[in-house]
Amino acid sequence: MTDRFRQDLVAVIPKLRRFALSLAGNQPDADDLVQSACIKALRNSAQFREGTRMDSWMYRIIQTLWIDDRRRNKTRGAQVDPEDAGLSDGGRAARLPEDRMMLDMARAAMGALPDKQRIVLSLVAIEGLTYKEASDVLEVPVGTVMSRLSRAREALLPQLGMTKGPIQ
Amino acid sequence: MTAETMMDKSRLAAFADGELSPEEAAEVVLHLADYPQDQAYVDNVIASNESLSQAFAAPLGDPLPQAIENTILGKPETAVIAPFPKRPVVWVGTALAAALALAAFTGPSIFTPAQPPRLAVGPLTGGSSLSEALNSLPSGITSSEDADQELLILATLPIADGFCREFEVIDRSDERIDLGIACMTAGTWVVEVTLTEPLASSGTEDGFVTASGAEMQGLIPFLDRLGAGNALAPEDEAALIARGWAR
Repeated sequence: MTDRFRQDLVAVIPKLRRFALSLAGNQPDADDLVQSACIKALRNSAQFREGTRMDSWMYRIIQTLWIDDRRRNKTRGAQVDPEDAGLSDGGRAARLPEDRMMLDMARAAMGALPDKQRIVLSLVAIEGLTYKEASDVLEVPVGTVMSRLSRAREALLPQLGMTKGPIQ
Repeated sequence: MTAETMMDKSRLAAFADGELSPEEAAEVVLHLADYPQDQAYVDNVIASNESLSQAFAAPLGDPLPQAIENTILGKPETAVIAPFPKRPVVWVGTALAAALALAAFTGPSIFTPAQPPRLAVGPLTGGSSLSEALNSLPSGITSSEDADQELLILATLPIADGFCREFEVIDRSDERIDLGIACMTAGTWVVEVTLTEPLASSGTEDGFVTASGAEMQGLIPFLDRLGAGNALAPEDEAALIARGWAR
């Protein structure tokens, strides 16, 4: 394993923590998830091919670990207080109360989505992957990505009060 | 449930997500001009994407958690350095003093000694007393060939590509104690670091001397960088000396 591999891994940790947070719903669990993924990545570093995007490779590991963990624990959609769970960003992302309320609603709505919908929505809406990149990470057809996205948004938009028109 | 749209929602969402080709996007734009409800859906998708991005953005501004950093980069093992022990004062010998006196005063020390370091950083001349002592003297055995000076090898530490030895030289006439680490490189002992402290600050009323804890702490980062492991056991060190420091 090269130092370059480790450095590249360190470089994508902020994005991985964000992705894991969107799945786990709280920062401690998200960091545990990222750490487990890093251990697995280091163990399997020989499988990493030059030219592969490190973030995409790690997204795949994280989502696999998370799904496995969810299946083991048989828990889902755990809702947590953003402040207690370390989800709050101290107002960095939103200064106005209504904005903070919207972000809290977004977190809660995300946490209520089925696992697979949550993953694909996070990859596309938060991590900014294209549908093709998301399909590669998840190893499913692009059509599956689109259908999961569509169902996720059907559930999410009403939670955000977006059933008729855009937020003004 | 979101409001119904004229155009397929997956296509509108693909437009909002930037998935469409320029030609396809242009068609959607023309369509949206005539269908406000579809425009509202596109706006909602874009707004929800933005909300989600902001809602989970906190980790982007956080420092790298220590536990994760340790997992990736490896938590440095702190080498266990043999403590600079208390021991009785011995007054003998000259050869070692001569060897040390030959050493230049120019070697950079990684520390800020109370006095200029007497030991020079760099390779030792083969056959010099210090080199000979490093080659053959077991740890814990004092070598004293000068009335005012004594040498003690403190420990032998394995590193990634060889071995290093901690040693100290006490000069009672100058009232100083020179500490050093020398490593075997390509068959030659190389003094890698030195530091000096006044002997008065190390002495005790019963005639024993010790290096201060602060000085010892200064050596640990250097040994960590070398990847030094725990000190060799006496029997392992003896075997190593017997086979001429061959691994």
